[in-house]
Amino acid sequence: MFRRLLHLLFGLLLLSATALAEQRFPPPDFESGYQLPTPTTPAPRAGLMQYADVVVLLSALALALWLVYRTRSRRGITALSLFSLAYFGFYRKGCVCAIGSVQNVALALCDSHYALPVTVLIFFLAPLTVALFAGRAFCAAVCPQGAIQDLVLIKPLKVPAWLETPLGLIPYLFLGAGVCFAATGSGFLICRYDPLVPFFRFNGSELMIGLGVAFLLAGLFVGRPYCRFLCPYGALLRLATLAAKWRVRVTPDTCTQCALCQHSCPFGAMREPTGMQKREPLKTSRLRLATFLLLLPVLVGLGAWGGSQLATPASKFNRTVKLAGRYVRSLTTPDRFPMELQRVEANPGPVLAKAEEIRQQFLLGATLFGGWVGLVFGVKFISLCLRRNRTDFEPDPGTCFACARCFETCPSERIRRGWIPAELETARSKE
Amino acid sequence: MSTNPKEPVNRRNFLGAAARVAAMTGVGALLGKLAGATAAKGTVWQIDPAKCVRCGKCATACVLEQSAVKCVHAYAVCGYCELCTGYFGPEPNELTTAAENQLCPTAAIQRTYIEDPYYQYHIDEKLCIGCAKCVDGCNRYGNGSLFLQVRHDRCVNCNECAIARVCAGDAFVRVPVDQPYLLKTKPTTS
Amino acid sequence: MNLALINSGEAGARRTAKTWLITAWIAGLFCLAICATILYQHATATTNDPWKSPQLLKLKTALAAAPKDAQIKAQIRDLDLKYRQRFFRRLALDRTGGWLLLGGMAVFLAALWRAKNSDQVLSIPQPNLQAAREALRVEARSRLAVAGFAVVCVGAAAAFIKAGDSKMPLPQNPAAPPVPAAADALPPLAEFQANWPRFRGPDGSGFSPKANPPLAWDEGAKTNLLWKSAIPLPGFNSPIVWGGRVFLSGGDAQKREVYCFNAADGQLAWRRAIENVPGSPAKAPEVLEQTGVAAPTMATDGRRVYALFANGDLAALGLDGAPAWSKNLGTPKNQYGHATSLAIWQGKLIVQLDQGDSEPANSRLMAFDGATGKVVWEKPRKVPGSWASPIVVEAAGKAQIITAALPSLIAYDAVSGAELWKADVLEGEVAPSPILAGGLVCIASPSSKLIALRPDGSGDVTKTHVAWSNEENIPDVTSPTSNGELVFYVTSSGMLTCLDAKDGTKLWEHDFGTEIQASPGISGNRVYIVATDGHAWVVEAGREFKELGAGKLEDHFFASPAFVGDRLYLRGNAALYCIGVK
Repeated sequence: MFRRLLHLLFGLLLLSATALAEQRFPPPDFESGYQLPTPTTPAPRAGLMQYADVVVLLSALALALWLVYRTRSRRGITALSLFSLAYFGFYRKGCVCAIGSVQNVALALCDSHYALPVTVLIFFLAPLTVALFAGRAFCAAVCPQGAIQDLVLIKPLKVPAWLETPLGLIPYLFLGAGVCFAATGSGFLICRYDPLVPFFRFNGSELMIGLGVAFLLAGLFVGRPYCRFLCPYGALLRLATLAAKWRVRVTPDTCTQCALCQHSCPFGAMREPTGMQKREPLKTSRLRLATFLLLLPVLVGLGAWGGSQLATPASKFNRTVKLAGRYVRSLTTPDRFPMELQRVEANPGPVLAKAEEIRQQFLLGATLFGGWVGLVFGVKFISLCLRRNRTDFEPDPGTCFACARCFETCPSERIRRGWIPAELETARSKE
Repeated sequence: MSTNPKEPVNRRNFLGAAARVAAMTGVGALLGKLAGATAAKGTVWQIDPAKCVRCGKCATACVLEQSAVKCVHAYAVCGYCELCTGYFGPEPNELTTAAENQLCPTAAIQRTYIEDPYYQYHIDEKLCIGCAKCVDGCNRYGNGSLFLQVRHDRCVNCNECAIARVCAGDAFVRVPVDQPYLLKTKPTTS
Repeated sequence: MNLALINSGEAGARRTAKTWLITAWIAGLFCLAICATILYQHATATTNDPWKSPQLLKLKTALAAAPKDAQIKAQIRDLDLKYRQRFFRRLALDRTGGWLLLGGMAVFLAALWRAKNSDQVLSIPQPNLQAAREALRVEARSRLAVAGFAVVCVGAAAAFIKAGDSKMPLPQNPAAPPVPAAADALPPLAEFQANWPRFRGPDGSGFSPKANPPLAWDEGAKTNLLWKSAIPLPGFNSPIVWGGRVFLSGGDAQKREVYCFNAADGQLAWRRAIENVPGSPAKAPEVLEQTGVAAPTMATDGRRVYALFANGDLAALGLDGAPAWSKNLGTPKNQYGHATSLAIWQGKLIVQLDQGDSEPANSRLMAFDGATGKVVWEKPRKVPGSWASPIVVEAAGKAQIITAALPSLIAYDAVSGAELWKADVLEGEVAPSPILAGGLVCIASPSSKLIALRPDGSGDVTKTHVAWSNEENIPDVTSPTSNGELVFYVTSSGMLTCLDAKDGTKLWEHDFGTEIQASPGISGNRVYIVATDGHAWVVEAGREFKELGAGKLEDHFFASPAFVGDRLYLRGNAALYCIGVK
C-alpha cells in the first residue's frame, strides 16, 4: 500500500509541471457520517469601528484646542496625550494615522484603482484644517507619535539654532519623497520608516526597533526629535500654520520679558523680542535678500534637473520596475530566486510595459521632487534674510507644538492664575 | 482668544487671512478631486490564493513576530489522503505523526483518522507561522486544499502591508472590509 | 510645580528627589534586563528555531541515509520538541516582555520626572545684552548650515545615482505592447472598440467592423477550433473580451462565480466566487431554468469587470480577479429571472433594473461609479420587468442611454440620467434589445414589428420620430444586428431577414429551419448566425443572400457571439469555444 502510494506520488511529481489546480485526489464519500468542517474566518475590526476612530480623533482635537486656548492646562494636555497614546498608539496600533494618510491621499489622486476610505481622508484633513486656524493642536496631544516623545522628554537640551534650521528642512524633503513614492504606487515610505509605530505593536523589524529606541533615547534629551526633524505631516502642518488665525500666546497678560518661557521651551520654538537697536546696515540685508530672491528660481531649476537624474535609480525601489529589471537580467544571467520571475516569464509584455510606464511617472515625480527640494532650500534662505519685529516673547506658530509648558513658567501667567502671590515671585527671583 | 482684540487689521493679519482662504480653497479642491475616489468602506489586506507562489516570505516579512498570515484548510477540496504531501515531507520515513516525518516545523497540522483510508488534517492556528511549507506540498502534489490567508484576528492592517511589499507572486490585494477572505472553494466540474 | 514645593525645606526636597532617582535607577535597570533577555533570545533564534537549527537539519539528512535508525529518530523527536517549545516560549516572552518593558519605562519616566521636579527652582535668566548681535550671528551661521546641508543633500543624491547604475537593464521591448495611458485614465476609445467590453460588442449592436474570424469550423473534424474550455457553472450570459482575457459568469442556487479565461490558450486564469455581498439574500431567487441566475452579460471598462446576478448581487472585480467592491441591489422581482445585461459608459456602470410582473414595482435605471461603486445617479422607471439590455449611443450631440421595456423605448442622458425622450411602441414581453442602425434606434417589438426611430427628439416622440417600421418575420427573443447599412434579424424558428436600414424595406429572407435563440452578429461584411443545436452559418452582409460558410460544434448555444481580432468566442452550455485560424 505504502509503496504504491509512493509510486503514485512520483508519477504525479512528473505530471505536476503541467497540471493545474484541479483535484488530483477526488474528495472521498465518507461512510462514517463524518461532517466536513468549514474553515473559520475571524472577522476584522468592524467597518463601523473606523468611524469610532474618527469620532475619537475629532473629539480629541476639540479637547486639545480647548485645553490649549481655554484652560491653558499643561496637566490636561499631558492627560490627553496619555489617552491618545493609549488609544491611537497601543489600542489602534498606530494605524491609520494622520502622518501616513498623506500617502493614501497622494495615491488616491494618482491611481484610480485605489479607493480612499473616507475615514483616512478625515484623518488627513482634520488636523490640517485645525492647523490652518489654530496651530498644531494635533501635535500637542492627539498624535500618538508626538505623545510618546513628549512623555519621555526628561532633560531637554537645547539644539543650537544654527543646527536646528537645516535639520528642520528634512521633514519637507521626506514629505516630497514620500508623496513621490506613494503617487507612483511604489510603496509608503513614510509608514515604512516610522520609527515609533513598532513600539505600539510590540513588534517590528530589527532595524525599525533599533531606530525607534534611538529616537526615544535621543528624545530623553532632545525634545521630540521625530516631530521636529523627520515628521512629514509636521511639515505640512507647519505650512498650514503660516495662515493660522489664532496663535498660542504665553500669556494673555503683559509680557515682562523675563525669558523664562524661552528657557522652558524644549523645542526651541520661542522667539525673543527683536529689540530696538539697529543691527545691520539696511543696504547689506536688502542686497542679500535680493540675491536670494534671484537665487530661488535657479535653485528650483537646479533641483528639478538633479531630481530628474534621480528618477532612474529611485524607480528601482518600485517592485514592478525591479522585477522587470531582474527579468531582463535573467535573460543573460540566471537569477538567484527564480520563483518571483515566474509570473513575468509567463507573460513578460505587460510587466515590461508597466515598468516603463512607472519609470516615466518617476521621471515626472522625481523632477517635481527635485524642484520641491530646490524650493524648500530657496525659501529657507529667503526667510533667513527676512526680519520680523517682535516686542514680546512669542512662540513661532510653525515650530510650536502647543505643549503648554511655557504657560506654567510664565510669572504673569502664574500670578494671573493665582498660583503665587505677586510679591513672592518677585522676591524669589531676586535671590 | 490669543489675538489681541485691540490690534488693528494690519498687513500681516490680512496676509494670514488671504493665505487661509487660499489654503481652504486648496483643501476644497482636493476634496472635490477626491470625491469620486473615496469609498465609504475601508479595506483590509488579503492573499489571493490563485496568485500565491508559496515563497515563504509571509512567515518572515510580517510586522508581527508570529505572522498574521496562516494556513487555512478548505476541507471541501481536500482528498483526505493518507499520504498527505502537505503533512509529510517529500520522502517520509513512515506515515506516522512522529516529528521526523512532519513537514510542518511547528507541528501545527493535526492529523486525525476518520475512516479507512482517510485522514483529516486540521491547522492549529496558534502554532502556525505561515511558512507555506505545507501549502507548497499540497499545491505541488495534491489538491491544493491548503492555502494561505491573512487572519484578521491577528492582522493589524498596516497602511502598507509589509508582506505585500515583498510578495513574490504579487498576491496581496486590498479587499473590502466586509468581504475579508478569499477562500478556495470546491470546483464544481473536474 | 506648586507652591508647597517651593515653600518646603531644601533638604526635604532633595531627599524626595533622591528617592525618586533611586526608583528611576531600579526601573531603568529592570528595563535593561528585560531588553537584554529578549535580545539574547533573538540572537540565538537563528540556530534554535526548529526550521533553522543546523543540528536538526543534519539529523534529518542522517535519517534519510539510514531510515531504520531508531536512535536518530529519538534524537530528532527530542530536539524538535525542545526547539519548538523554545520558539513558543520566545514568542510568549516577547509579548509579556513588551508589557513589562512598557510598565518599567512608565515607572522610570515617572520617577525621573518627579526627581527632576522636586529640586527644581525657577530662576529668572539674566537679560542677554548681546541678544541682538547673537541673533545676527545665529542667522549667518544658519545660512551657512543650510548651505552645508544642501551640499550634503547633493552629495547624497550623487552617491545615490552612482550606487544605482543609471542604465537600468530594461530595454524597450519591441514585443511589449504600447505604454498604456496613466493609470487613472480610462482606456482610449479605440481600445474599447477593439475589444468586446459588453453584451453584443462595444455599442451593443453585435457589430465589429474590423474583426475577421474564419468562415467555417467543425469540432468533429477539428478545423479552426483553437480551444475549448469547460465552464464550471452554467449561465446564459455571453462572453466579453478585454486584453487577451475572456470573462464569463456562472451560477446556480448556491453559488455565483466569475471566470476569466486566457484568450491565448483557453486556460481558466482565475475564478472568483461572489459571496458575502452585503445585503445579499440568503435564499436564491426563484428563476426559470431557461434563465438561470447568471443571465445578465458582464461588462468591463478595461480597469475592472462587473457582473450582475439574478439575486441582485452586483460585483466589481479587478482584471486580475481581486474584488473591488460589491453590493446587492435587492432581488429583482421577475417571473423568469433578471436577464438585462450591464452597459458601460466612460467608467460608469449602467444598470437597468426593471421589475414587477405586470405592475411596475421599483423599476429603476442606475449609474455607478466604476472605481468605487457609488451611485452617480438613479432614476425611477414606471415600467414592469423587462429583459432587453440598454445601449449607450451618441446622438443629437448627447450620450443617450436607450432602454426598452413595456410599453416604451426611453432615452436618458448618460451624464445626468435625465429622461430625454420616449416612444410608446412596444408590446408583449420585451426581450430583444435596441440597437443603433445607421443613425436610427432600431427595436423589435416582440413578434409584432421592427421599428426605427430618430434619436433626436424630446418628450413623447411616438407620433413624430418613427422613421419606418416593418412587420415581417419579427423575432420574439433575439435582437437585431446592423452594420449601419443593413439590418438583420432572426426568429426563434430560424428565419433570417434583411432590411435596408434607411427605409426598412425588406431585401431578402432565408429560412434555416432550426431553432435559433442567440442574437446574430456582424463581423466585417459577414453575418454570423448560431443555432441552438451548435450549427452555425456565415452569410454575406449584402443586399442579396449568399452563404459563405458554416460551422458545427457539439453543444447548445443561447449566448451571442463575440468577435475580437481574428477570433470568434462562443459560449455553449458546457464550454467556451474559441474559433480562429491556427
